[in-house]
Parts: sequence; structure tokens; C-alpha cells
Amino acid sequence: MSKVLVSDPTLRDGNHAVEHKLRVEMIAAYAAAADAAHVPIVEVGHGNGLAASSMQVGESLVSDREMLTVARKNLPHSKLGIHVMPGFATIERDLKPALDIGVDVVRVACHCSEADITQRHIAYVRERGKQVFGVLMMSHMLEPGRLAEEAMKMETYGAEAIILMDSAGAFLPADIAKRVRTLVQTLHIPVGFHAHNNLGMAIANSIAALESGATIVDGTARGFGAGAGNAQLEVLVAVIERMGYDTGIDLYKLLDAADFAEREMIPVIPTIKSTSIVSGLAGVFSGFAKHVDRVSLQFHVDPRDVFFELGRRGIVAGQEDLIIEVAQELSLATPKEKAECL
Amino acid sequence: MSTNQYEFLQEDCAQSLGDDFGKLRALRDTRLLVTGGTGFVGSWITETIAFLNDRHHFGIHLTLLSSHASEFSSRAPHLAARHDVSLIEGDVRNLAEVPSDTDWIIHAAGSPDSRVHFSTPVRTIETIVLGTHAVLTAASRLSSLQRVLCLSSGLVCGPQQWDSAPLTESTYFGLDCNHLANLYVESKRAAEMITVACRSQFGLPVLTARLFTFVGPYQLLDRPWAINNFLSEALRGGPIRVQGSGDTVRSYMYGSDMAYWLLRLLVDGKIGGAYNVGSPTGTSLKNLAAKVAEHTSSRPIIELNTLPSGNIPSTRWLPDVSLAHADCGLGIRIELDQAIRRTIAWHSRY
Amino acid sequence: MTAPQTRIPVAIIGTGNIGTDLLLKIQRSKYLECKLFVGRNLSSQGMSKAVTLGVPISDRSINAIVDAPHAYQIVFDATSARAHLQHWPLLQKLGVKVIDLTPSHVGKMCIPAVNIDKCLVEQNVNMVTCGGQASVPIAHVIGKTQKDVEYIEVVSSISSRSAGPATRINLDEYIYTTEAAIREFSGARRAKAILILNPASPCINMQTTIFAKVPEPRMDLLKAAVDSMVARIQTYVPGYQLLLGPIIEHDRIVVMVKTLGLGDYLPKYAGNLDIINCAAIAMAEAFAMNRMRIAAAQEASGV
Repeated sequence: MSKVLVSDPTLRDGNHAVEHKLRVEMIAAYAAAADAAHVPIVEVGHGNGLAASSMQVGESLVSDREMLTVARKNLPHSKLGIHVMPGFATIERDLKPALDIGVDVVRVACHCSEADITQRHIAYVRERGKQVFGVLMMSHMLEPGRLAEEAMKMETYGAEAIILMDSAGAFLPADIAKRVRTLVQTLHIPVGFHAHNNLGMAIANSIAALESGATIVDGTARGFGAGAGNAQLEVLVAVIERMGYDTGIDLYKLLDAADFAEREMIPVIPTIKSTSIVSGLAGVFSGFAKHVDRVSLQFHVDPRDVFFELGRRGIVAGQEDLIIEVAQELSLATPKEKAECL
Repeated sequence: MSTNQYEFLQEDCAQSLGDDFGKLRALRDTRLLVTGGTGFVGSWITETIAFLNDRHHFGIHLTLLSSHASEFSSRAPHLAARHDVSLIEGDVRNLAEVPSDTDWIIHAAGSPDSRVHFSTPVRTIETIVLGTHAVLTAASRLSSLQRVLCLSSGLVCGPQQWDSAPLTESTYFGLDCNHLANLYVESKRAAEMITVACRSQFGLPVLTARLFTFVGPYQLLDRPWAINNFLSEALRGGPIRVQGSGDTVRSYMYGSDMAYWLLRLLVDGKIGGAYNVGSPTGTSLKNLAAKVAEHTSSRPIIELNTLPSGNIPSTRWLPDVSLAHADCGLGIRIELDQAIRRTIAWHSRY
Repeated sequence: MTAPQTRIPVAIIGTGNIGTDLLLKIQRSKYLECKLFVGRNLSSQGMSKAVTLGVPISDRSINAIVDAPHAYQIVFDATSARAHLQHWPLLQKLGVKVIDLTPSHVGKMCIPAVNIDKCLVEQNVNMVTCGGQASVPIAHVIGKTQKDVEYIEVVSSISSRSAGPATRINLDEYIYTTEAAIREFSGARRAKAILILNPASPCINMQTTIFAKVPEPRMDLLKAAVDSMVARIQTYVPGYQLLLGPIIEHDRIVVMVKTLGLGDYLPKYAGNLDIINCAAIAMAEAFAMNRMRIAAAQEASGV
């Protein structure tokens, strides 16, 4: 039986869905439930990771310190994970204190073509003796060979695994299969996958990744995450266990955790809304969803037009400020100009 | 403390040279230039020259050319202060000349750190290719030049197959030259071609050493190789984390053995030859981790299979060193266990 | 008898793209003349360019300047922070004005649109960061026109191709330096700087958004101050444009600016590198004009 490492970013990606306002009691309770279910890694934090609380991408209700401290207390066995983006989070000011609180796993993430900005952060985590993965975000934007190059850089920097993120929910199964295959052939470390469900493909894509050689997958309770949400964790675990993969997770307790999340923590169960479909097709970061909705309303433009324009410009995660510029331009454009753009 | 470090390393040199120091007598009262002189190779060559001069009055003058010359004084103060060692700060890429009284050259400039290769590939290629060209054309104008030894890498032969014999100097497997991962290897192959061209056109007395894997003092532990990861983790109290099953096989030569081999090849190797330099005795990473743990006083635990690795293939990379043995009688004097013990001791003390 | 106004002699250390771009800007200057262009690599393309322009070169780096102690009045350092720490003690002894384009933190932070006059008396001025040069003037006017500026945040997007290995390995330093500059020049209690690299092709221009949290925004005052500040910046950074704002969006003040590069030696999309060079030239010309003024005054009073 093939072992698969499941990582659960419900308490991180889920924060995108509630504008980063997850409360401390929710974090405590869900973490305890996930720990009881033997979920190997529980990832906690602002939707964009450590030190991302900002006007640019949204301000957290609870500080990183508080979130991580309460999670650590409620994860006696499972590993506590964080998502870290260089350019937002610095080593001395942000990563060091997080590790001091007791984070076990650091996933250092960047836009898929910019791996060399992760060098120092990855090296620091290794120096501290903790586990570090490299994460390539928006991985639909690079073809397999180039993705493998960036992944190799992270491997040489000391990453112990590489996670491909489908941050826009843009993949179809064949897309992720060929990327995973190429990485598995090129690297000497494990490969993982993080799905988003904009095109209803999160589970299928995760399966395709595993069947192509990935050994790490992400899932969130009821899919609680940015945009249309992630691969629904309890479905994913049930399916891959049936397929013969060994996750080490207690199914009943996992279902209990998901039930708790639905009852107490998730205001709106993720569904695939029209704007999510459009953002998936346009290849735009799922975390933009709420920002696009709000800004489009303010400038009286169609959010779907905004998504397609953002996609056309190749906007990457962290560039939420450009939503305002695009909305303003569209609001000033004549209908003819608009038609020509789209 | 500095004196102790000197004595510590001199013990290693004494063991590697043994009674054979006389075989290096051609170096007596001559001038040796080492490019990239302040790295792992340069530092060990310097220790060995110090041994020959102090213990056996060889009277060798050593010049170290490096773009990090100023760091040498802090990393190895006992060497930088020596009156028989000169430091020149300079970048090989645009080297215009070398000291005109140079008798021997060991060209070691070029970092084997793959992080540098990936983050600054253009500069890497320039240093290796342009640097080799600059050093050899400058060498061709020297009046009293005896030999030039260029340091290449065992990687130029291509990836070893799992079930094939250790790599000889004439075993070659194919490489994809349109792949960033092969940048370092292709640069080294181009550099070897430059030595061939200079030998042919200038009659330059040059030969090549192909380096495999090493361990020892002066190796920076953040360099991304398994041995360094194990040593760092052990020195921090462990656990030592081994990815996958740990079946991948490598061999490790100790720094003082390496320095002795390089000096002997410089003096006695065949012009135009290429010699593998490394230990022929392979060990699995699992075993290596166990040895590191064994020789660390805190006895750190070892974690295998820290992550599910699926089908990541194990690899093997071992040199066949029968040529160095046949031509120069070279062998391994410091075995792996001692190499690890000494390295751990050095890191703990200095 | 008044002497003709000759340009003051300057030297540049660093013959990479930044140093060479500075050289070309100085060729256009009415106040500065580059008399020496030094580095460590004679085969660098910058060195060849200098030779075609008839500018003297040397690969002896700082030593070439030290050997001609009275030949230059201003020295630009476009090398690295580590190298600058070695150059500065030597330059300090020479008494030359130093304009430091490295992230060394040695000299006073210089944002010409805001504190050019205060920097005239300093021997070493530091040109901060690209995000700093683009955003600090705006942060400064926010600080001047608004009460109780609690927090200012600056996000810069630059094209991947304009971010070399040195930038990529020093993101943390960029963040700390930019935040320090924002706090110093705006008086905001807290500051945050974010840097995003975007790989789109064709390359994007540098775009910077300044957000501010202010309890009772006074937008009329701010609009006038921003417009006038943008006009001031444009006198030395012609490619600097106000894209949007100031507006209030989602309870925050938002101002967006774009910086197009001049394309002297660096590509036009590298507005992030160009803005630092333009600022450096503005500072140098201010030194030069000041010197000329002093010299003319001394002539006039018969000193």
C-alpha cells in the first residue's frame, strides 16, 4: 500500500473565505478535532500565510502569534504547519518567532517562476532543524520543464518536498498529471499537490497527481478555502483510501471534524459560483474572489470582465491592488473598447 | 586556539603524506599558484604546503588567487598570516596575468555549490569557462612553468547507472545540454575542452583532475550535500533525517588525502591525462547517517523515510581510481570512519 | 573675473548595468562630468561602453580613486553593500561626497523630492530602495496632510526580469529598509512593505500602491499635495506617473503610481532600477549646483 501524506490547510486557506477573520476558538476546536483524527499536518494562518495580514490582501482578526500559539496547544500529536511567502514574510521578524512558538513544518511559497527568492527562507528553516517544503504557486502558468527547473532550485536550497499549487483552480487532470510526472522524474524529493475547485476538478486533479507519482496532497474540511474552495478533505481521504492509498487518518474522526467545521466555522459551504468558474478559466488567483466582488461593485463593472482582464495581464498572487486599477479602467472604457479586450 | 587548529590539521596532513612526502620533492623551492585558493581545495592545499615547509623545509612559496581573499584571514588566520603564503584578491573571469615566476598552477576556481549554479547560472558559466581560458592563456606566457592541474568534476562523465561499475575516466553517459540542471556539468566539459585546446595550440603542460565527493574541515556545512545535512543535524543534536530509504550510494574522500593526491598528480600525472580523484569505497546514505550518529557524542537518532517518497530512484556515484593508482601509486590513507570523526571534532572545536 | 561654469568631476564605482546607466545619465548632465569609471572586471560590457564614450576606466576599483585624491568631488557607489562597507572609510578620508546606491545603510536616507536640502551637508547619502523612492514622497504628503496616520503600507510590483540575483537574495533587507524609510518620512506609527515579482511578458512596469489607515481622511488636501509632489518627482524621474487616486476604497486611502524607466542603459521596464539612478543624479546635481553657488559667491566676495 502506498503511503500518502495528507496536509490540511483548513485553518489557512479557509481564512480566505472569511476575509481572514477566523476566530481563536474555532482554530482551537478544529485543530483539536483534526489532531484526534490523526491528520498529519494542520496548517494555520492568514490566507496568504505568515505576516501577510495587510491592506493589500486583507487584515486578520487574530495575530499570527495568537493563531499559532493556540493551534500549537491543541495539536499534541499532529504537526503544525505554516505557509510563508518571501516578499511578505521576513526571516528575523516573522519566521523566527513562528518557529519559536513551535511550528513543525514550513511551506515556503512563491510564484512558480521565482523560486530563487525562497533560498534564504528555506535555508533558515533547515538551520533550525525543522521540516521545509517548497511551494510553487499558480503552477498552471509554467509548462512542465520550466516548473521542474524551479523545483530543482528549491531542492538544492534544501527543500524536502515540492508542492505544486493550483492556486487558480485552472487545471484539468491531464495538466497536473504531466507536471507531476516531470517533477517526479527530475527531483530526488517527494512531490505534492494542492487543489482548488473552480472548475469542479479538485478531487479528480488530486487523484491524477497521486497516480502520477505525487505522495503529498492537501484537502480542507468541506473544501473551506479561497474562491470555490479546495479538494474536500473528507471526500479525498475516503476516495484515496478506497483506491488503496494509506493516509493513516481515522475516517470517522475526520468526518466529525468536518461536521464541526460545517456547523460552527464555515458561514457558507463552498460552491462553485459563476465568478469562480470565470476566475478558473482566466487563471487568476482564487484568493482574489472577494476583492474582485467588492471592487467591481464599487466601480460598477462586471466582476467576470475584471477576472478575464486580470488573467490576460498575467497577474499573480499578492497583486490585489491591481484589481482596483483594472476595475477603474473597465469603468472608463466604452462598450466597444471592452468588447475588443475580451 | 589558532595554534591548536594548525596542529589538528597538520596531524591529518602527516597521515595522508606518510613517508611519501619525498615524492613531492620537485616542488622544493618553487612557486605554486592556486586559483580559487581560499575554498575547500585551496585551504587543504595550503595546509599541506605548510606541512611540507614546516616539517620538511621544502621552501615552497604559495600564492592564492581568490575573489574572497579578505575572508580567508578570518576563516583560517593561521594560514593567512604565513610568510610563505601570498593572497591576491581577483576574479578569474578577467584575469590578465599570473605572477611571472610561477612554476606550478592548480586551477580550482569555480564553486561546486549547486545553489549558486541555479541562482546565478550566467556568472557560474563565466567563472568556469572564461576563468579557465584566462588562467591557461596567462599560463602559456610563463617562463618557468612546469605543470598546470585543472580541477574538473566526475560529473562530466554523465549520470552513473545504478547497476554499472564505478566510473572510469573513459566511461561517458549522455547529457541533455538544453537543461539548466546540467549547467555546471556542461561548463566543466567546456572547460576541459579549453585545456585540450591550450595543450594542443600552446603546448601547455596541462592535465585534469575530476573531483568526486569529499568531507573534512573547511567544507561549509550549508553546502547542499547529504553529508553536510547529516553533519549539521548531528552537531545540532539530531535527529538526522534521511529522505527515503537511504539506499543512494556515495563515497567520501578526506580533505588531506585529496590535497596529497592533487599535489602528486600535479607533479607526476601524465600531461593531457584526466584522473578521477575520490574514494572508490561506496557507502549508502543510510550507513553514512549511522556512522555520523555513531561518532557524535550526543548520539542523535536517525529518521529514515521522513516523507513518503513513492518511487524516487536511489542513485550511485563512485569513481574508479585505478588510473591514479597505476600512474602515481595513490591510495586512500584516511578511511571514512576516521574522516567523519575528524570532521565532527573539528566543527566542535573550531 | 568669473570662471566659466565647468561641470564638477565625479567618479563611479561599479561597471555593471546600474553603474553604466548612471554613466549615460551623467553624460547628459549640465553639472556633472564622469572622469573615472571603475570596477573589477575589464571585460564587462560597461567598461567597453565607457571606453567608446572616452571616459577613463580602471579595473583597480576603489584604489584608482584613492590614488587620485583630489580629482573627484562626488563618488557614486553602485557595487554591493559589502563592498561599500570597505569603500566608505577610504572615501570618507578623501572628503568626497558619496552617493551610495547599495543597501548598506551607512549614509543618511535620501529621497530627493522630500529631503534633498537636508542631504546637502551629508558626506554619505543612501538611495534607500526602489519601492522607497517611489512611495516615500507619497507617504510623506499623507503624513503632512492627515492627522493621526496610524499605518502606511506600500506594495510594489516589478517585472521578474528587472529583479536580479542580488535583489532576490535580499528581499528581507528590502522590506526592512523600505519600512524604515516610510516611518521616518511620514511619521506613521507602523509601516509595511511588500514586494511582488511578476514574470509576465512583455515585462510589466514598476507599479506601486500606497495604502494608509487614517481616522478622518482629508482628501482635498491630500489630492492637492499628491499632485504637487508627483510634479516635483517628475522633474528628476520623468517616467513617474500618478495612476489612480488618492481615493478611499474599503476604508483606506489608496494611491497608485507607475514608474517607467528612461531606458538609458537599463531596459525601459526596469523603472525600479531607473528611479534609484534618477534620484542619485538629482542628489549629485544638487551637490554640484550648491558647490558652484558657493564657488561663485566666493569669487564675487574676492575670497
